Amino acid sequence: MATDTTSTTEPKAGGNGRGRVILRRFRRHKLGVTGLAVLLLLAVISIVVPMIWPYGHGEITPDLSQAPSAAHPMGTDTLGRDLFAQTLRGLQQSLLIATSVTVVACFIGVTLGVVAGYFGRFVDATVMRLVDLTLTLPTIAIAAFLGSVVPSGGVNWIALSLVLGVLMWTPVSRLVRGIVLSLRNLPFVDAARVMGAGNMQVMARHLIPNVADHIIVAATLMFGTAILAESGLSFLGFGVQPPDTSLGLLVSNAQSAVLTRPWLFYFPGLLIVVIVLAMNYAGEGLRDAVNPKASLVNPLQSARRRNDRGELPTDMPRGLVDVRGLTVDFGDQRVVKGIDLSIEKGEVLALVGESGSGKSVAALSIVGLLPPTAVGGGSVRFDGRELTGLNFQEWRAYRGRRIAVVLQDPSTTLNPVLTIAAQFKDSMRLAGPLASDYRDRIVDLLAGVAIKDPARLLDSYPHQLSGGMRQRIAIALAMVHDPDLIIADEPTTALDVTVQAQVMSTLALARKRTGAAMLFITHDLSLVAGIADKVAVMRAGEVVERDDVLTIFDNPDHEYTRSLLSLAPSLALSPASQSAAADIEEDS
Amino acid sequence: MAAMILRRLLSALGVLLLASIVIFVVIAVSGDPLAELRDRQPPVSATVIQAEEARLGLDQPLHERYFNWIGGLFQGDLGPSTIATRDIGAELGSRIGVTLRLVVVAVVIALILALIAGTISGLRQRRFPDVVLTPMTFMMLALPSFWMAVLLKQWGIYVNDQVGQSVFATVGANSVPPPQGLVPFLLDSAAHLILPTLVLILVHFATWSRYQRTAIVESLAGDHVRFAVLKGLSRRRVVRSYVVRPALVPIITIVALDLPVLLSGAVITETVFQWRGMGGFLLESINLRDSNAVLAWLLIAAFAVVVFNLIADVLYAVVDPRVRYGN
Repeated sequence: MATDTTSTTEPKAGGNGRGRVILRRFRRHKLGVTGLAVLLLLAVISIVVPMIWPYGHGEITPDLSQAPSAAHPMGTDTLGRDLFAQTLRGLQQSLLIATSVTVVACFIGVTLGVVAGYFGRFVDATVMRLVDLTLTLPTIAIAAFLGSVVPSGGVNWIALSLVLGVLMWTPVSRLVRGIVLSLRNLPFVDAARVMGAGNMQVMARHLIPNVADHIIVAATLMFGTAILAESGLSFLGFGVQPPDTSLGLLVSNAQSAVLTRPWLFYFPGLLIVVIVLAMNYAGEGLRDAVNPKASLVNPLQSARRRNDRGELPTDMPRGLVDVRGLTVDFGDQRVVKGIDLSIEKGEVLALVGESGSGKSVAALSIVGLLPPTAVGGGSVRFDGRELTGLNFQEWRAYRGRRIAVVLQDPSTTLNPVLTIAAQFKDSMRLAGPLASDYRDRIVDLLAGVAIKDPARLLDSYPHQLSGGMRQRIAIALAMVHDPDLIIADEPTTALDVTVQAQVMSTLALARKRTGAAMLFITHDLSLVAGIADKVAVMRAGEVVERDDVLTIFDNPDHEYTRSLLSLAPSLALSPASQSAAADIEEDS
Repeated sequence: MAAMILRRLLSALGVLLLASIVIFVVIAVSGDPLAELRDRQPPVSATVIQAEEARLGLDQPLHERYFNWIGGLFQGDLGPSTIATRDIGAELGSRIGVTLRLVVVAVVIALILALIAGTISGLRQRRFPDVVLTPMTFMMLALPSFWMAVLLKQWGIYVNDQVGQSVFATVGANSVPPPQGLVPFLLDSAAHLILPTLVLILVHFATWSRYQRTAIVESLAGDHVRFAVLKGLSRRRVVRSYVVRPALVPIITIVALDLPVLLSGAVITETVFQWRGMGGFLLESINLRDSNAVLAWLLIAAFAVVVFNLIADVLYAVVDPRVRYGN
């Protein structure tokens, strides 16, 4: 897939490489692999075994209504037909029809989805109405009606597949449209157009390959649905017709035999269950392989810790916060390698380092939050008390009340479905029942972060406000209980440069007013000068230099600090270093 | 908000109009309601067939038939049936109630159970009870509803035989004749509801609880939850207002989108348990080649789907302020 014109800008690296990665991830998904293996086995059986099996599916033997035996492993029906032969035929039919339905539905869905997403506007609106329209037609009713009007001799499988496919394409088209919408303005599509590729070529060669993996997942899940739809129709008598047979028809014929000749009912029914179950697990495995979920954070769970409780320091703690030998491990990889930090009351410590240096993980670890795959170690003492190993309830004495945190991205930190006032109320209730003048208190807090005319914001929702405004609200929320320590994790990184300065001064103002200590985490040394008392420079999980801010700026000790300093935009000496700084921004 | 509802309403009407055309054309061109009459042996005289064609309006061009049909709808006339004595409107009217009872009870129970199970499963990923619930829902997703229906019905019969009295009602929506008095009637209805609703519940519980689990897992990983924890809120408050509430938004659309599947499920379930509801009506009408009856059924289904999507849109706006303010 990696074409020569796009291989450098394509968001997903060359097809082979990506395919191999997906395959490797899929192989780790045991249930998915099992599901796929079962399906392949069934497909092979449905093709090979009928050729060597002594009985045909319509062949009448003298053994009437026999229970399973060596000659008839699934027994026989009232006419003496061998159920195993019939089930094999049903399996063939079901797999054939479900495959064709999936192909038809995916073809329509992918075509319309790509066209809608690529052209947008009118075309998109038309396709989406078509989706709405199709959704108003209950599959089984239309298919049953069309099945009933086909001339005698039964519905042939092609017609049945076409009808079901035409009614089932909508989820695929929605999925594909969504992805194409997000892809169509990316550089590699523009590049292809500039190189002279026509619309058709862009769609066929550049867009479809990029959604291929998602299509495979959707197709897998659709296959299961198709099996159920086909067998349901046959069950009602509108799908596959006798003398041919299908799994649905076999179940239908066995309706009254559940108690008397159970084999007739259970074998074909359970086979459907096995097929669909296997398909769903295979689909789930493929989905996880295509879209691996990052190890999701669960902040309600306590972070895991190494078992080294005996090694906690017993000496007098230094200052307000005393961090000793803090470590964080992801599996075998140690990303924070035993750092020591201390913050005095009212002091601002800036923790500086490039992205990936472990500074954010270290900060999260101080407040007891880590991804579930991470393991923390070392000691964190706050106001003389050990914080590591606290449970959720014990943490609540510190979080919000004594240690407040401002996170990086203000577009996601506020609750989207609660008003600003409601989010303040939640915090304020921690100190006891709400005072009657609580709204005035919120207004004061908002005024304290330099928000003009705060009263009008109280009943707004976060999405109605700008990023800078939301970050100021987050800072005000952190100030509700006059904390002793504020941890600000890159609070301006997600904001426009013009807004950054405002938010920084707001943060400085709020901190000064409450006299709280602060741990300020950033990759940008130019922000540090105006706010920090001390600076710790972190690199690859270690603190490489720690000193007060003036010494660091005037006389950096460590090579790495010097290179960071030369890159900080506001301190930059030459245009060349400015562009280098821009590169770092992009990398982070 | 009013503007949004109006916009959605107009778009819904458009879709419905389009659906009526598509349904009409598909039914009109693909089946001959008089095929059975024409094939009859000995042959029916040409005048009889012509009279029938005139009665059903088959002698007119397609577009005129459509306008006649639509015009009739607005006067409450669903068109003539192939069986001269059949009144489509009256029969449908009596049957909708039966199906609604089945579908509404099943949806309400399935939704409540799915929300609870999905939420618990999402909050306790890969721990108990998620490690039990998740494989269970996978299993349920693979169960064909017709197979489950037959299985439950036959097991019901078996239990009845063993106990010696009718514990589970396995035929019809009510006993024949229905018992007198409100309380006995309700009890009788409930007894008949158990098995068929169980089938519908199983199918939809599985899908919906999967969606709810995903929604909770995603919500839980959101920054706003982390921020709420760091604000020091209680676990209960975080879960309720910061994890579950934002996660209730997606399920609304899913349920609305699933309505056609639900109707299909009702057709199968009613068939197996021999309810005289909408499902039975559809299958009988198809077998009778009663085009206008099938049309009426499809139109009601389309109407229900459109209305439910509209309700979902409005509910969506109520739950999610981002939609309410047209963002």
